[in-house]
Amino acid sequence: MAYSEKVIDHYKNPRNVGQMDKASTEVGTGLVGAPECGDVMRLQIKVNPATRVIEDAKFKTFGCGSAIASSSLATEWVKGKTVDEALEIKNTDIVKELSLPPVKIHCSVLAEDAIRAAIGDWKKKNVAVEHSMATAGAAN
Amino acid sequence: MPAHDMTSFAEPPTKIVCWSCGRENPASAQFCDGCGKLQPSVPVDYFQFFGLPRRFRLDRAALEKSFYALSRKLHPDLYARAGAQEQQWSLEKSSLLNDAWRTLRDPLARTEYLLELEGVRLEEQSRNATDEAAASGTAKQQIVPPDLLEEVFELNMQLEEMRTAHASGQNDPAMAAGLQAARRHFESQLEEAMEQLQALWAEWDNAADAHNIVEQKAVQQKIVDLLNRRSYIRNLVRDVQQALAS
Ligand code: FES
Repeated sequence: MAYSEKVIDHYKNPRNVGQMDKASTEVGTGLVGAPECGDVMRLQIKVNPATRVIEDAKFKTFGCGSAIASSSLATEWVKGKTVDEALEIKNTDIVKELSLPPVKIHCSVLAEDAIRAAIGDWKKKNVAVEHSMATAGAAN
Repeated sequence: MPAHDMTSFAEPPTKIVCWSCGRENPASAQFCDGCGKLQPSVPVDYFQFFGLPRRFRLDRAALEKSFYALSRKLHPDLYARAGAQEQQWSLEKSSLLNDAWRTLRDPLARTEYLLELEGVRLEEQSRNATDEAAASGTAKQQIVPPDLLEEVFELNMQLEEMRTAHASGQNDPAMAAGLQAARRHFESQLEEAMEQLQALWAEWDNAADAHNIVEQKAVQQKIVDLLNRRSYIRNLVRDVQQALAS
C-alpha cells in the first residue's frame, strides 16, 4: 500500500521528536498503545500554567509510518493551542490531512488517544490550578 | 456464501433434509447418511463444518486427517458431471473447507476466530474505548495495563539504541551480545505467553463443557488481555530479529 506524500514527509522528517521532563508540573505525558498491532506512542506537552496554552510538544513513536506521521502532525497541531482547543482534535482530522486508508485509521486513533492522555496527565498534576479556575468561573 | 457473516450463526439449523432421498441429517453433514449424496451448503461456522465442538483445544492430527479426506471427497472434479447445484455446493464447500482448515490449524487464528464467534471484536475494543473517552472528555482507558506500556516503551528505547549502534557499523561485541540476550528474553516471553494461552484454553473449554457461562466470559477476558500483551512482545521479537539480521 502506498503512503501519501504527507505521510512520507512526516515519516522522513518527523517534527518534534524527543522527550521532556516527565516530572515537571508543566509537562503532561501520554503513553498509549494499539493492541491491534502492538505499536506504542508517547506524546508530551508543555503547558503555560497561566494561559493554558501548549507551548511545546514532543513525541516518540515505535510503530508504523502512519503512526509516526500522525503523532508528528499531532505535535504540530497542538502547539499554540490551549489544552481545551487541543482536546477538539479528532483522529478523523488526522486521517483527512494525511489521507490515511481505512486500515491505517487505528494509527491516527493512537495519536488522538495520546493527545488526550497527555492533557489528562497535565490536568491531574494541576488539579489545584483547575480548582481555582473553576471557582473563579463560578464567581462570574 | 457469507461465511464470515457471524450473524448467520445466531440460530444454526440443527437438521437438514436430504434433497435426494429425504432423510434427516445433522446440519453439519457434508453427505447424506442414507444415500451418500452431497448436501447443500448451509451457513455453518468452521467448527461446525468439521463436526467439531466449539472449543479452543483440538486434535490437530485428527483435524488434518479430516481435512485431507474431505478435500478429496468434496473436490469439484468429482462433480463435473453432476447437476449444477451439486457442482455449486462442491465449489462452495471446498472453499469453506480451505478457510476453515487454515484458521483452525493455527492456534492464534483459531483463538481469535473462536473469540469472534463468542462476540468479542478484537479490532473494535480500542476504537470503542476511544469513543467513550472522547464522549466523556477523559483520557482513554488503555486496553493494556500502563506498566506493560511503560515496559514495552523502555525496551523499545533500549532496542533502538542498540540498533543504531549496530547499524553505524560499530562492531561492538557487547552490543551484539546485548541484542542476542534481548532476543532470547523476548522469545522466551513469547513462549511463556503461548503456555499461558494453552492453560486458558483448557479453563474455557472446561467451563464450556460445564455450561458455566459466567466463567467462560471471565476466562475470555483473560484471553483477550493475554493476546493484547502478546502483540507487543511479538513486535519486540520482530524488531530485535531485524536488528540482528541487518
Ligand atoms: S499499524 Fe499500528 S499504529 Fe499503525
